[in-house]
Order: sequence, then C-alpha cells, then structure tokens
Amino acid sequence: MSSSGYGQKEKVLSRIAANRLQKELTEWQVNAPCGFKHKVTDSLQRWIIEVHGAPNTLYEGEQFHLQVDFPEHYPMEAPQVIFMQVPPMHPHIYSNGHICLDILYDSWSPAMTVSSICISILSMLSSSTVKARPPDDDRYVRNCRNGRSPKETRWWFHDDKV
Amino acid sequence: MARMFGSSPKEQAELLKDQGNSYFKKDKLGAAIEAYTQAITLCPKVPAYWTNRALCHKKRNEWHQVENDCLKALDLDNSLTKAHYMLGLALLERRQYHEATKHLEKALDLGRGATGSSYMVEEIWQELAKARYVEWVAEASNRQRQQRELKDYLFGLLKQDYENKLKQAYEKSGAATEHVQPGYRDDSNDIIDLTNDEGVMSALQNAYFPAMELQSTPEERRKAEVSQLTEEFQKRVQTMEEVFDKAGAPDRPGEVPDYLCCQISMDIFRDPVITPSGVTYERAVLMEHLQKVGKFDPLTRATLHPDQVAPNLAIKEAVQTFLSHNGWAYKT
Repeated sequence: MSSSGYGQKEKVLSRIAANRLQKELTEWQVNAPCGFKHKVTDSLQRWIIEVHGAPNTLYEGEQFHLQVDFPEHYPMEAPQVIFMQVPPMHPHIYSNGHICLDILYDSWSPAMTVSSICISILSMLSSSTVKARPPDDDRYVRNCRNGRSPKETRWWFHDDKV
Repeated sequence: MARMFGSSPKEQAELLKDQGNSYFKKDKLGAAIEAYTQAITLCPKVPAYWTNRALCHKKRNEWHQVENDCLKALDLDNSLTKAHYMLGLALLERRQYHEATKHLEKALDLGRGATGSSYMVEEIWQELAKARYVEWVAEASNRQRQQRELKDYLFGLLKQDYENKLKQAYEKSGAATEHVQPGYRDDSNDIIDLTNDEGVMSALQNAYFPAMELQSTPEERRKAEVSQLTEEFQKRVQTMEEVFDKAGAPDRPGEVPDYLCCQISMDIFRDPVITPSGVTYERAVLMEHLQKVGKFDPLTRATLHPDQVAPNLAIKEAVQTFLSHNGWAYKT
C-alpha cells in the first residue's frame, strides 16, 4: 500500500465530522453509488472503497481500490482520496495513486459527499480515451517519495477533455 | 476591594462587575461570585450581574443558585438567551424536563439569528434535544404500553366473540333442523330472541348466507358457516393490527426527511437560512463554510456573502412540527 505515510494529521474527527460521516455511511448502505462497494472496516475516518470499471469503457472488468481519509474538520475540508495499488492507467492518475481532480482540492465544497466524489472519479475514468500515465508521472512520484499528501500538491489541473 | 471614592453606585457596580469578569477568566470563581454579589447589592436591577453570577455557579455545579439567579435576571428582562439557557440546565438537573425544555426552547428561539460570539444555538440545541429525547422516551413507552394493553383486550373480545359464535354453530348442527324459524327478521340481530339459540344461529346463518342453497345438508351448512366465521375473525384481527400499527408509527424511530436536513451537516435544521440561490443550510455550518472554504454557495457555487442569507422561517416551522410528532428525531 503506497499510502501509509499520508496520515500525518491523524486527529480525531470533530463531532460534526463524525456525525456527518455516520450519516453518509448509513445513506451509502441503503443507496450506494453504482459500481462502488464500501469495504467494512472499524474506522469511520478511513474508508476503503472498491471501484468497478464501468461497462463499455476502457476499464470494463477491472477493479480498483480507493482509500479515503477524512480530516478532523470534514466536510469543511476535503477528504484525501487516493487509489491504492495498482491505480488505473489514466492520464490524470499518477502511479502512486494520486488523482488530479479539482473537486478533491481547490474546488471542494462541503456539499459534496463520498458518493459524489466516487461518481466524479468513475466519470473521469469512463470518459478516458487512452490508458496512459500523466506525462509528468516520474517527476511527480519522485517528489512525493517522502510521503507527501496529494492535498499538499499545488495542482495545475489537466484539462477535463480526457 | 478597590476603593472607589466619589463614584456613583452605578459606576461602582460596573467596576465590581469588571473585577468579577477578570476573576472569572482566571477561574477564581469564589472571588468572582463575591464581586458580582457586591455589584448586585449596589444595583440589583442590572440583569447582567445576575447572569454572570449564575455562570459562576454553573461552573461550580451549584444549580440551585443558578436557578435563583436566572429567575431574578429573567424577572428584569425576559429576553435573555443565556438566562433561559442556564435556567433550563438547572431545571434539567432537577429532572424537571417539561419546564426545562420550555426555557431551552425559548433560549433557542432568542438565540437564532444572533451573530458572533453570542451565537450559542448548537449548544442550546444539544441540551434541548437531550431533554426532549428523554421526555419522548417516557411518553412513547407509556403510549406503547397503553396501546398494547388495549390491543390485547380487544383481541380477547374478538376471540371470545368468535368462540361463542363457533360454539353456537356446533350446537346448532348437533340439533340440526332444516326448517327456518318464523317470527324474526334476519337482517337485524337486535330483535332476535336470544333465549332461542337455534333462532340466533339461523339468524346469523341467514345473515351470512342469504342465498344459501336450501338443498344443502346441515353438515355442509355448518362447515360453510364455520369457515365464514373464521375468515371474518381473521379479517377483524388483521384490521385491528393495521390500525394499531398505524397508531404506533410516530413512536417508531424512522428517517428525518431530507428537506428538513442541512446538506452539509446532514442533520435536522436548528437555525435554517436560505441563500439567494434558494438553498437552505444550517446557519452556523454555512457561516463556517463562508469563512473557511470560500465565499460561494456550497451547492450552486454562486458567489455568496454572509449578509445575503435570510432565515428560512417556513423550514423552521416545518422542523418544529415534525419534531413535535416525531420525538425520536431529537436523538443526536
């Protein structure tokens, strides 16, 4: 797992965060986004989610895992979302699992949920026309070797045509 | 105590209050209480002296004094959020849930829409919700017990009635005669001579099977009658179950409708505000978003400034109505 170093601020969830996550989890259990499965853990603060590539896309039949870590002040702060090994080959997904997707960083809004993030990620996968790593993959991954969180990256978002 | 030559009692009292405040900040509660007490002696008509002293007593868990000071303060000014809040807490300590919730409700009402450091809606809500929930548990279990008792009783009556009718049907078939007794109307049971068992049975039978074939044997007629009685009994029991199920529904925890919940907190509204985009949020949560995340509507991303929001009174009413019928929703 490429991610163990990222939990630098493992602060406990605030009351509001815990309350909201509990509700998101309950909602997920009755109405999970299509193509996703929450793997039960004893932690509310870290969700592991199974992702199934949508039919009739480049990722049909493939299966991936997302790791979602929630900060103390979720949802006022975005969760950290990364792919666990092995991340999908995609022009916006680095080989260390980091995802270049604006809503996870600058464009986060507290009205978004784990479900809506999942749907965004799946749609990003589904609209891909080529299975490739981002052009700056090597450089980026090298820069992250000290266990830097993608949330500390100053993202320069790729266009959303891919 | 500082010497205060030449100042009026009013000025002296203000000075004492300031002293009390600084003692309070340093957690010297005894000294603070003393200062406030002196201020009260000089100027007993200033509510803040009473509420400040109450706050000290609250910190020391001296609830009786909290109650007295808050009552005094409210006598002077009935619109003091903090006094209603602390009085509510003191009453909770005495398990006076009904009175306590009245004051907490009042505090919540007064606290809504306030700004800055005096905003204590969430704090008040938490206490109110706890108290209301306790109240609801007691009321709901009482209602459930009464309904269960009534249901058992009614079931007993239905069963007894069914058994009586069955018994009569069997007795009738034992002494079966084919002819129909004259002298009664089969469309109304009240005029049947109840001393005449056979007559009753015929009446029932004719009521249930007006078009029964005359050629049927007594055995057949009895069987048909028994199955008719059984069906009727089962239907009544089923209807009764349904009625009681419906009656008990509000006392069973369920889901709070989405439109009564903030999309950010996902919790039922306490102080709903509406944005120019038409979206309603919990005030404190939206303000935090505007401060920490950005000046935009979280859902529509339209530019949004704090002074553009307005209370959503309709949703506030809807929440209150919902909670008054669904006390379980107070569970936080």
